[in-house]
Amino acid sequence: MNHRIAGAVAVFGAALLLTACGSADPAPAPSADAEQFKQVAQDPAGEITVWADATRVPVVEAYQKAHPEAKIKLVTYSGNANGATDLQTKVQLFDRTGSGWPDVAFSTTTADTAWAAFGAKPYAAPVDKVIDQSVLSGFSPGALDPCKVGENVYCVRNDLAQVVLWYNKKLLDEFGYQVPTTWEEYQTLGEKVATEHPGYLVGTAGDPWMPEIYLWASQCPASTVTEGKNVTVDLKNEKCTRAVSMIDTLIKAGSMSKSSVFDAGFIKDKAAKLLMAPGPSWYGQVLFNATFKIPKGEIAAAAPLKYAADSETFTGNVGGGVWYISSHSKNLKTAADLVSWVTTSDEAQGNAGTYPAFQSAATLWLSNQQATGYFAQDIAPAFTTAAKQVWPGWSATQYSHESIYASTVVPALNQGQTITSTLDAWQTAIKNKAATLGYKVS
Amino acid sequence: MAVASTSARRPEGGVRGGQKPSRAGYFFVSGYVILLVAFGILPTVYAVWLSISNSRGQLVGLGNFLRTFTDYRFAAAFTHIVVYVLIWLVTLMVLVVTLALMLHGRMRRTSAALRFVYYLPGALAGVASVVLWLILLDPANSPVGFILEAFGWDSLATVILPSHLPVLFTVIAFWTGAGGWILVMYGALNNIPAEILEAARADGAGTFRIAMRIQLPLLRKWIAYMLILAFATGTQLFVEPQLVSTASFGMIPDGWSPNQLSYQYAFQAGDFNGAAALAVDLLFVGLACATAVVFRGRMFERD
Amino acid sequence: MVTLQDRSRATATGHAKPRHRDGRRWTAGRVLGRATWFGGTGLFLIFFALPVLWMILATGKTDGDIIRGHPFALGNWHDFTQTWNNLLAFQDGAILLWMKNSAVYAFGALVITLVTAIPAGYGLALTKFIGRKTLLTITLIVMIMPAAALVLPLYLEINAVNLTGTIWSVILPLSFFPFGVYLTYIYYSSTIPEDLLAAARLDGCTEWQVFAKIAIPLAKPIIALVSFFSFVGNWNNFFLPFVMLPDSQQYPAQVGLNNLLTASAVFNTSAGTEAPILRPELALAALLTILPVLLVFLFSQRALVSGMLAGGTKE
Repeated sequence: MNHRIAGAVAVFGAALLLTACGSADPAPAPSADAEQFKQVAQDPAGEITVWADATRVPVVEAYQKAHPEAKIKLVTYSGNANGATDLQTKVQLFDRTGSGWPDVAFSTTTADTAWAAFGAKPYAAPVDKVIDQSVLSGFSPGALDPCKVGENVYCVRNDLAQVVLWYNKKLLDEFGYQVPTTWEEYQTLGEKVATEHPGYLVGTAGDPWMPEIYLWASQCPASTVTEGKNVTVDLKNEKCTRAVSMIDTLIKAGSMSKSSVFDAGFIKDKAAKLLMAPGPSWYGQVLFNATFKIPKGEIAAAAPLKYAADSETFTGNVGGGVWYISSHSKNLKTAADLVSWVTTSDEAQGNAGTYPAFQSAATLWLSNQQATGYFAQDIAPAFTTAAKQVWPGWSATQYSHESIYASTVVPALNQGQTITSTLDAWQTAIKNKAATLGYKVS
Repeated sequence: MAVASTSARRPEGGVRGGQKPSRAGYFFVSGYVILLVAFGILPTVYAVWLSISNSRGQLVGLGNFLRTFTDYRFAAAFTHIVVYVLIWLVTLMVLVVTLALMLHGRMRRTSAALRFVYYLPGALAGVASVVLWLILLDPANSPVGFILEAFGWDSLATVILPSHLPVLFTVIAFWTGAGGWILVMYGALNNIPAEILEAARADGAGTFRIAMRIQLPLLRKWIAYMLILAFATGTQLFVEPQLVSTASFGMIPDGWSPNQLSYQYAFQAGDFNGAAALAVDLLFVGLACATAVVFRGRMFERD
Repeated sequence: MVTLQDRSRATATGHAKPRHRDGRRWTAGRVLGRATWFGGTGLFLIFFALPVLWMILATGKTDGDIIRGHPFALGNWHDFTQTWNNLLAFQDGAILLWMKNSAVYAFGALVITLVTAIPAGYGLALTKFIGRKTLLTITLIVMIMPAAALVLPLYLEINAVNLTGTIWSVILPLSFFPFGVYLTYIYYSSTIPEDLLAAARLDGCTEWQVFAKIAIPLAKPIIALVSFFSFVGNWNNFFLPFVMLPDSQQYPAQVGLNNLLTASAVFNTSAGTEAPILRPELALAALLTILPVLLVFLFSQRALVSGMLAGGTKE
């Protein structure tokens, strides 16, 4: 019996080898052309399905309350947080069956644009065709960059995560240090802290988002996507190595941690000794307040650091959610109205957990933050400055720099290597990952 | 029932194994066969078809297999899984059988309580246990921190260094999966009539001899079955790397095991054909093992 | 070596005798054996139980205590109620809804599994029909097919028959449980001697009567075992309901837990600080969702042991 089966399998396999008639390469995903975007038949009274993560659910419910005439079916999903690809997984299946797409979807990662805006019939509709330009122009400059493919915008930014310099004002005053304004001063201070106050830290390098804090700010061309799906990866660029060697120096000196700020061990033993840390805007409430439990009146934020040699200051960005509108939606009007409301209105954004991408809402948000009295001084100047300084050269890619850094560089760091010595392996890892996702790498 | 009339014509067939083919067998398996065709065979056949065609529905022969074979992650993933499966199978077989034998026939209450506790982690599958591993693997506040530190691992990152992963995943998989198998083996041991063991004891055989000469041979089919399934689940390792990856904020590569790689193909690159090719690779590896075990363990023979 | 003939005779005629040997002399060997037994089982007791114990304690602490305090420090009632309230406040008690959904899927699939798998395992073990070995082989092949590759085919199939979004899209695929068929097959083929069936057939029993009179009364332990594994598998299945169900009101516990996890600031840095879902709440949610599994375990364990011991003597 089994010999017969084995024989049949062998014959069948041989036959297949001979009869191959197509190419095994996966179908190349053509770049989206917004001019060809065609609406499906519209039904302005129809129900729309909205996918949001649990954090965004109250906002959508608030929209429903303010617009009782809109018919909304709200579905909670992971929001693609922490590396999940739920939206993409489901959309792949919906594409196969030709139905089921959510009219509106929230995602915690801007990286989704890199697949949602591509394909034969991209999932994401060009929002500049359905949302008024006057609304889109109210966003912080550069906030919509990760949503752009060519000249078109495929998502609406919910919140920004611009990198500022967080510091513990109480400790800094105690030690008698000045807040640095350049990376060079920062490094000098770091070395000084290491000798004068061993055990205290000026930053962490074990977080997955380390590239987005340090390399993005130093304008490193870690991935530059050009026309279509061409990408260049150049970690050996001087703009990258200046940040990397600074981190290596500080790790060696002992004032930069190899852990992540969310490691339980770090929270337990190191959090109170974190003198300063370049980090995204959400560090304030999420990290220092809720996780580290640093008391009121100690934490403050300074504007992003500058490289002395550069003429302009740039900073990085760690996350920030986006809203997509489905190109398959039968009710684009309601979908667009909902997305505009949840991203721009004061009701939706004034007390959000993270910094609103929409400028007027951000102003209100900052005054509400000031009212909490948590920070040692007003964070508004640092935040608004940083929001305008996010370097636009860092491309949104379908692969995540975070997971590549976490799985390639962090283990090496913890085996005692320097980041400089892993640059080759790191660069190869980025190139390999890009190639498997259909990028042409050079 | 329809079967009553069809099988009523079977008064003969008295001798062991001399029973003739009957239609009753078809009736007994019919319900299962419907489910098997719908949710087992059809999807499998479709997956195999996917593996030899491309996204435009053209036959491409072994193209997808060659393409995935040259993927830079392929060799690494399969190397990982070979090391893991070796460690996993040996650990599981030895410890599960040993523990089941130890628990059997002694101190009934204690033994029942122990079986319950051994099983406890089995209920904590998947997502539910992420929060546990998040803390457990970080020496700074792990309940087993002293063990981790005894190995000289002082942070989460050093605990989950790449070279530790196969052993770590074995520990996690054993922690969640062993209790269920111990229960199966315990149940199987209960099937061995007490008289046989009594007789052996009367002949002066010790606990160890009884286990080796009587209990183990009689567990043959069960052990073979466990081997096949443990091998298949071992090669399809998915949950444990995902779990540790979540708990460590991504320090495990997303294509560590072949099954994860297959998932990456399907849902990150949208390449269902490449994904199916990888799955078929795993299927063949599993089949090779199963065939060996089925014949050596005479699985399909009736005792 | 005991022959199989002996064994089946013993099975057919035997009755349970007390297991203990005469006399309880404490020789050095026995003491050593005892010590090994306690040492070995005790070590594994710690291995399996310690993390669970930690998790139970964690529900009675604050997030800060978990991180900064001693791992096995006792929690307190106040913090536990706080954890409980935070968890129940998550989307108006969504966790209870998830558990209800899980119960519907798990029990629904379990019923279909039992109705199909027990007769099938019996048929494969004790009746003869053409294609028996082929069926066993196919079952085995399907069983070791990696699940990731079956997701798309299953989804397309369910979609083709318009069942997407219904509870059947989860229940039906789950109720296909080849593992249970194999367990039943092995159980019957190594428990019921064919002589017994032959005798029944000689007495004029139909095949159905043979099954009903001999196999069913003996089935208690295997039903317990299959129910248990099927229930646990159904309850813990994440991927199938995740793919099939389009509505969060239909989510079972595992998919819901995943949402809870990603709503937590521990795993989702963009969650902000509003949802008070932190480590204690996650631990409590995990423990709540395993309670049904543990209940089923206790029930099936009883049936398993009692049934198996009585098994061989029944006629």
